[in-house]
Amino acid sequence: MTRNSNIKIKLYLFISFIILILLVYIFYLYDLQVRKNIEYQTRARDVSLRINTIPAQRGKIFDRKGTNPLVVNIDSFAVTIIPAELEMNNIDSLVIKLSEILDMKPNDIKNKIPINFKNQFLPIEIKSGVPLSIINIIAENIEDFKGVTWISKPIRSYLNKGSISHVLGYVGDITSEEFQILYNSGYDINSVVGKSGIEKYYDQILRGSNGIHYKTVDVQGRKIQNVQLEDKLPENGKDIVLTIDTKIQTLAEEALGERIGSVVILKPSTGEVLALVSYPWFNPNNFYNDQSNSTFRDVALDNRHPFLNRTIQSSYEPASTFKVVMSTANLEEKLFPINKSINCEGSVWFGNREFHCHVPEGHGKLILHEALEQSCNVYFYTLGLKYLGVDIISDYARRFGLGAYTGIDLPGEIHGLVPTPEWKERVYNTKWVGGDTVNMSIGQGFLNATPIQMANLVAMIVNEGVIYKPHLLKEIRDSVTGELIKKNTPEILHTSSIHNSTFKTMQKYMRGVIIDGTAKVVITTKAVNIAGKTGTGEVGLKDSWNAWFISYGPYDALPEDQVVVITMVEAVNDWEWWAIRAANIIYQGIFADETYDDAIDSLRWGWLRNKRKPE
Amino acid sequence: MKVKNLFNIDFAIFVSMLGLMILGIMFIYSSGITSTGLRISNEFIYQIVWIISGLIIFFIVMFSDYLLFRQWSLYIYLGAIFVLILTLLFGREVNGSKSWLGLFGFGIQPSEFTKIATILFLSDYYVKKKKSIKRLSTFLLAMLIGFLPLLLVIAQPDMGTALVFIPIFLIISFMAGAKKRYILFLFVSGLLMIIMGVLPAWQKFILKEDFRFVEVLINNDLFIILGGSIGIIAFLSIIGFVYSKRSYFYWIFYSSFLMITGLFGSLAVRAFLKEYQLMRLIVFLDPSVDPRGTGWNIIQSLIAVGSGGLSGKGFLQGTQSHYRFLPEQSTDFIFSILSEELGFIGSVLVIFLFAIILVRGLMLIMKSKDDYGIFVGSGIVMMIFFHVIINIGMAIGIMPITGIPLLFISYGGSSLWTALISVGILQNIYLRRYRY
Repeated sequence: MTRNSNIKIKLYLFISFIILILLVYIFYLYDLQVRKNIEYQTRARDVSLRINTIPAQRGKIFDRKGTNPLVVNIDSFAVTIIPAELEMNNIDSLVIKLSEILDMKPNDIKNKIPINFKNQFLPIEIKSGVPLSIINIIAENIEDFKGVTWISKPIRSYLNKGSISHVLGYVGDITSEEFQILYNSGYDINSVVGKSGIEKYYDQILRGSNGIHYKTVDVQGRKIQNVQLEDKLPENGKDIVLTIDTKIQTLAEEALGERIGSVVILKPSTGEVLALVSYPWFNPNNFYNDQSNSTFRDVALDNRHPFLNRTIQSSYEPASTFKVVMSTANLEEKLFPINKSINCEGSVWFGNREFHCHVPEGHGKLILHEALEQSCNVYFYTLGLKYLGVDIISDYARRFGLGAYTGIDLPGEIHGLVPTPEWKERVYNTKWVGGDTVNMSIGQGFLNATPIQMANLVAMIVNEGVIYKPHLLKEIRDSVTGELIKKNTPEILHTSSIHNSTFKTMQKYMRGVIIDGTAKVVITTKAVNIAGKTGTGEVGLKDSWNAWFISYGPYDALPEDQVVVITMVEAVNDWEWWAIRAANIIYQGIFADETYDDAIDSLRWGWLRNKRKPE
Repeated sequence: MKVKNLFNIDFAIFVSMLGLMILGIMFIYSSGITSTGLRISNEFIYQIVWIISGLIIFFIVMFSDYLLFRQWSLYIYLGAIFVLILTLLFGREVNGSKSWLGLFGFGIQPSEFTKIATILFLSDYYVKKKKSIKRLSTFLLAMLIGFLPLLLVIAQPDMGTALVFIPIFLIISFMAGAKKRYILFLFVSGLLMIIMGVLPAWQKFILKEDFRFVEVLINNDLFIILGGSIGIIAFLSIIGFVYSKRSYFYWIFYSSFLMITGLFGSLAVRAFLKEYQLMRLIVFLDPSVDPRGTGWNIIQSLIAVGSGGLSGKGFLQGTQSHYRFLPEQSTDFIFSILSEELGFIGSVLVIFLFAIILVRGLMLIMKSKDDYGIFVGSGIVMMIFFHVIINIGMAIGIMPITGIPLLFISYGGSSLWTALISVGILQNIYLRRYRY
């Protein structure tokens, strides 16, 4: 009997224990479901409300004809996997099927699937840059691809490979540094931004603004129903028409060939850039595929610096081309009579230093225009040191726009350098000496200019005192209707008070360089009369020179019909007078309306056909 | 004795059981419906098949003599152990644990049925050892019976199911009248073992700052010093007890031995379970530390339950579930979808129905004239109770994620049959209350 009641007590204890715990649970559930209901209802709605951006189409980029697209967007997709949706037994076969269709290694796919995938509802990207055709295959066989989905990720397609890459630049995902800077300009952390070139400079015009779509989604992001919130429609980016002439760009690119250097071709009467070539270049399309990371790294680490746009981001000693500035200064200031000669004996002593001319035996007696034609160093040494002086030389260099930004509509331009005695004292803490003036007189020493600045310098002579701001933007157009939104009008960058007659004389002198001077044997084109000046800059190494040729043509035409051509070949290439040769081919091509191949045939330079690379 | 009348069974329990199973079918169906109204799963049809076949078994169990089970309990138990070993050797791996055994195209989870086998045999053992019930050796042997299946299930590894054997063993021992200090020892040292076992993981993942005591558990030197000094205390107190026979020496020994067991046990826990497994166990304390991983289930389940409100969003109207944010909706987290769609009222209904089965179950066996019935009955009630507490607790974020089903409701044949057999046995005991 006691034993029985003992067990009864235990059973009642057990019952009380059960009831107590269940009451605690009920109380807890009351707290959770009734008291905190509102809070959890909000959370439940937040979990499934998605604000989706409707991406704006980035504007296209055309060449100057306005019909020739250079950059377009192509439909592209990223294939993703929702691990929780995978069928456990079929993972291996799915991986194999996917690897075949996406052309990937099965292991690469497998490694992306987390081990504890059963509850993973977040999509994992397997491959991006997948074309629509492959997505169609997946969509048609979706039963075989359970758990596989895709998202639209349009990519930029650069239709013309080659040197145009430096003009166009490329786009990429915004970095956190860029985001901090651009935060107030309507960018968000998922934005795609232009990283260089036109894509960067005109990003605001090209990008448009994203729309917003509100929707309720399930865990896979699938749309459930529309929310009563008005969508904000995206505003597509605008199209850009460039001043670039694709034909001339290609011609210049082929004329330069695989030589490290650059070409600038512009219309002096407006500042429109017709071609801008910098070798080596890069292929931005390779930044959007599977190997993008390694490709990008390879390009970035290439010691030839393919990302460097040498036309605006490299400055060099202008060398003998600077003699144009020297001659102009003397013509204007009349400090040394232009018909009075200076005798060149191959070298000259100033103080205790001997300065050489490039002809060891000397040019003999020369007057100004002969000295320019023959590019006589001794003449200009003397002119600079004895008659002009550093102040006038610097002043004229600046009047031609050297040492200042040209304001071209590309990011990352540098401004070169026009030295002055004050500058030298400030930077080097040593006095400006006569030797510095002597060096500067032949465009050596501290003097530095970019190819685009040299183009401006020639434009000044052609326009007789005006430099128009070099630019690449011709028009902005609506991307759908093609309607003209903005037309870029020429903008004056520099005007000079130098007399027109001085410029007219200079034009004659530069024509002389072609007819009787240093460029005579190389400039053989019959298509056009050109004028110009050669330049050969020592860069310390024996037998290696930076080669310049600054020129314009036709010599005897109105500025509206003229083009300025600057060719620059760096000293790392073997010496083959290529700057002048390239210019010769370019002029032949432009004015005879020929391609590179036709042009070298016309010039009877057929032996160059297979000579894209320097020997 | 022959049962003359079906109407002798306890209808309250029977109806509650049916109610729970109907709720089960409803919400297994609900879990298989997408937000667009598409049915993507036939689980509810299978469940109906399981319920019908399970009810046949239920009646067979109910109307056979439970003393027959007692006679065969040793063989049932040994058979169950054998099948568990087979499962370990040839089992199918699902969700990382080998707990399924293929049988004629069906998969069963032997660990579910082993619970009943263990209850039957352990009760038989205690009845037979009635005279020596207070002895330590009796208790240790009983421990062997209770913990052998536990170890086999842990080896699968299926932590959740394995844990169920502990309360079953404790309640039957308690009912049988084993010394309370043994039961307490087991209970407290087990608790210490688990707490100290998960403490380093807790400190690392959840607290994320220095916690001095954890240092003692991780640092080998400190651990040896602590263990050694408690060991010396235990040793001295046992000498003291032998010589003086004073009871306080006994209790000092008892407590220090308890601590040592817990301490070294925690070492075993940490050696056996990997850090991420420990993490899974404790992440319910703060699911936000792993919101995309283990914490996901807890967060989504809490949102589902909490957003249900007083009367719920309505059948098939739950957003958390039908947008599929909620994982394992038909099995582990079926309570979440139920209480999202039926609200607090639905939750209370479920708990109330279980309360009827549990409390009435205990009231019924109280009328039983033999100890065996009482032991078996309380073991069964404890098993069902433990499932309820852990499963619902998991859905509302107050119990670790162990993945044990809500009996009668969750989808799955093995657990359903186990539940039906269990209640069948309860009814059986009740039907034969006038035996003596």
